[in-house]
Amino acid sequence: MESSDETNGAAALDTLRTAARDPRGYVGRWRAEHPGRKVLGVLPMNFPRELAHAAGVLPVIVADDQQPVTEGRAFLPEFYCGFTRNLADQAATGRFDLYDGLFVADHCIQLLGATDIVRELEPRAPVFLGQLISSLNDISAGAKIAEMVATLRTEVESFAGRTITDDALRASIRSFNRDRALMRRVFDARAAGDTCFSPVELQDVVASAQAMDPDEHHRLLSAVVAAREPRPRDDRIRVHLSGHLCHAPRRELLEVIEEAGAVVVDDDLWTGRRYLQAMVDESTPPLEAIGRWYAERNVAVPCPTRVQHDVDWDRWLLDAAERSGAEAVVHLMPKFCEPHMLYYPELRRALDTAGLPQLLVETEHEGIPLESFRTRLEALVERTHRNRPAYA
Amino acid sequence: MTVTMPTTTTTPDRSRRLAVTREGGRMIAEYWDELFTARERGKQIVWYNGGALNPIFQAAGLAWCHGEAFAARLAAQQLEGPAQLAGAEYGYNAELCSYSRTHLGCAVLTLQGDEGGSTGVVGMHDQAELASRLPRPDFFVNNYAGCSTGQQWDEISYRVFDKEVPIFNISHPFLWGNKPDAGYLAGEEWESASRYVRDQLVDLIAWLEERSGNRFDWDLLRESMTYIKRAAELRREGLELCKAKPAPATFWDWISCVAPINFLPGDQRLVDYFQAVKDEIQDRIDRGISGVENERYRMYFDGIMNWNKLGFLSRKFAEHGVAVLAGRYIQNAFWQEPQLIDTDDPLLGMAQHYLLCPTNHGTKTLDYLTLRDCAEYDVDGIVFHSTRTCRAFTGPQRLLARSAQNNLGIPSIFFEGDVADASFYKEEILESRLTAMLEAIDVKRAQAS
Ligand code: SF4
Ligand code: SF4
Repeated sequence: MESSDETNGAAALDTLRTAARDPRGYVGRWRAEHPGRKVLGVLPMNFPRELAHAAGVLPVIVADDQQPVTEGRAFLPEFYCGFTRNLADQAATGRFDLYDGLFVADHCIQLLGATDIVRELEPRAPVFLGQLISSLNDISAGAKIAEMVATLRTEVESFAGRTITDDALRASIRSFNRDRALMRRVFDARAAGDTCFSPVELQDVVASAQAMDPDEHHRLLSAVVAAREPRPRDDRIRVHLSGHLCHAPRRELLEVIEEAGAVVVDDDLWTGRRYLQAMVDESTPPLEAIGRWYAERNVAVPCPTRVQHDVDWDRWLLDAAERSGAEAVVHLMPKFCEPHMLYYPELRRALDTAGLPQLLVETEHEGIPLESFRTRLEALVERTHRNRPAYA
Repeated sequence: MTVTMPTTTTTPDRSRRLAVTREGGRMIAEYWDELFTARERGKQIVWYNGGALNPIFQAAGLAWCHGEAFAARLAAQQLEGPAQLAGAEYGYNAELCSYSRTHLGCAVLTLQGDEGGSTGVVGMHDQAELASRLPRPDFFVNNYAGCSTGQQWDEISYRVFDKEVPIFNISHPFLWGNKPDAGYLAGEEWESASRYVRDQLVDLIAWLEERSGNRFDWDLLRESMTYIKRAAELRREGLELCKAKPAPATFWDWISCVAPINFLPGDQRLVDYFQAVKDEIQDRIDRGISGVENERYRMYFDGIMNWNKLGFLSRKFAEHGVAVLAGRYIQNAFWQEPQLIDTDDPLLGMAQHYLLCPTNHGTKTLDYLTLRDCAEYDVDGIVFHSTRTCRAFTGPQRLLARSAQNNLGIPSIFFEGDVADASFYKEEILESRLTAMLEAIDVKRAQAS
């Protein structure tokens, strides 16, 4: 018979999974429970959701909702990356009505293109670009970040129709930190050898955190975690997943990886460690702490959409592999994702030098060639097996 | 079924290109030759991208290489192959911006060439290929506005050279144009962004002085900006003359004038060149000579130039009696607002031009500019070059097409091609869509008459 912990855990995971896969349903419920309050869509990767939360708004990271692109085709070129085409489609088909406004802090040029489509097609919803400086070594970077965080605060206040007090902001920072810390514990445990969560489950955990209120998410996740016993790693090939900077890879891909005889031990995916790695310092004045959080996100997990001379994604990847014991790396690169394309040769070179086998998979919004991916993955697993010392 | 219209070499060339641009071609060739031998003449070399920082480099005593310009030149001479191959071998994906892919390929070749000797002229084994003649940089400066690719591309160049070449980055706020007071050249967003970029130019100058050991020559900066401002005014006056019917010169002529205004030294020769361009256009108007034989249609061209196809496209449009007159890449770039430049204190006006890169505006402003130019040049339609690896230019194109149809009642077509990769160009698509659009215009005209 299942213990009540397990039942609670299973039910809680089910709720998280539902919120991750159907944010529309979650937002509907939240609206019913919080009449008169607004829901803000925010685009990845760097908008500080704490600001909106502190203003009583539900900040939902707009996800690739995995629907096929239909009417959105008329607004962005066919070859644009899948996430941005999906955003255009959400706006073109009225699916963006979920949000009362849209805020974006990033400078990925394709994302800006998609944001413009939303601005044009959804005139009822305010769209605000508060560009956080992306060149982090600039002499003026610190001042510019502080200036922009202050602007974002004012803009969010005017969107919410409410002032953000420092106390409220501190409380929001604590809420998000607490939730991130718990997710991080789960990720760290995985890197240390615990396989009790599958990659799809973890993706649901993080994707739901990106949509939900952090306190509610934390409560549910605590129940999930309490119900799980650690499960030691077996001798499957240990794989690190790298890439997908701003949206979730298809779940089928994650499943195939484990079916092919590998176990995912860590990642730097947007719906993974990339989202939860950096904390906001609770001991500094809140606005300053948010600025610092942004400045340090790129150190926590390097992002190729930022420019920082002394931070290396390749170095970070090697260190992460060392920590988790990853024996191979699978690069998941969304088709037409240029930041990733620019850095990929650097990653490839570093992994080659370190003797870590790797596989590049270009992912598509629609129509993944799953069988060919499986074959290539099996080859990677085999190749990696040959790397293992014979006496192990 | 799509019918492929062969472009036969027997078709007479109905484009009448300006004769003076040949002089521009000579000036550009001399410039590159000088750059290839700059190291031998004891010059330090800067590689840069984005807005035209060359007057600053000139005053800082450096030789300069503009990354996109070099990639464009290779493509225009059909010499991009070796650089792109080197890039592909290094791991760059074929869908990466072809400017950056070509230039990064050059960086890889440059590094390989270095192994051969200490001349600083790379790839001694491969001298015939322009791609491998690019001298190694002493500095990188990034000045890319709008498109985030530019910023990341320079960071990668820095890494390809193992972080041994100092780099300076200028950050540009994207002109989103959301505030009630925002508009083209107007509003608080514009004012504050202008000041911010100007301040970074001051920092850049100090950085160059310190790193190069050269004293910055402010008088030389003022002087060269005086020439550039004059050349830019003449360019604008020439563009203005092209509103005449039939048009005395076309978009393709102005494309040939991009390199001189974009990176040649500011001096009397530059002014003389643009004076000559304007004079030839005026002379054509006086003598009733048009840029296209029997102009029947007037078009706007949106997208970066397809450098592999410059001559080909100019002939193709002329063949159909189409005068392509204006375009985002011409009207709205390259020192296009010379009145902003104060020649005594030029930094602010320079900063403003860098911000005015046509990829640095939200669609609202681009829409204003496109509709304005389409109306002023009285065009019948828009041809969108869906520039296959350029994310920045293609992003707003569908909205612009929709707006031109809704507001001005003018149709558009899209065709695929690329800035510096010929393999993306689809001849059948352009030919069939262009023919269909021209037929539709004919029908509309017949109905109106
Ligand atoms: S980061 Fe990559 S996938 Fe995300 S919007 Fe930018 S180009 Fe597209
Ligand atoms: S604007 Fe286009 S050509 Fe220039 S860097 Fe960006 S993608 Fe490349």
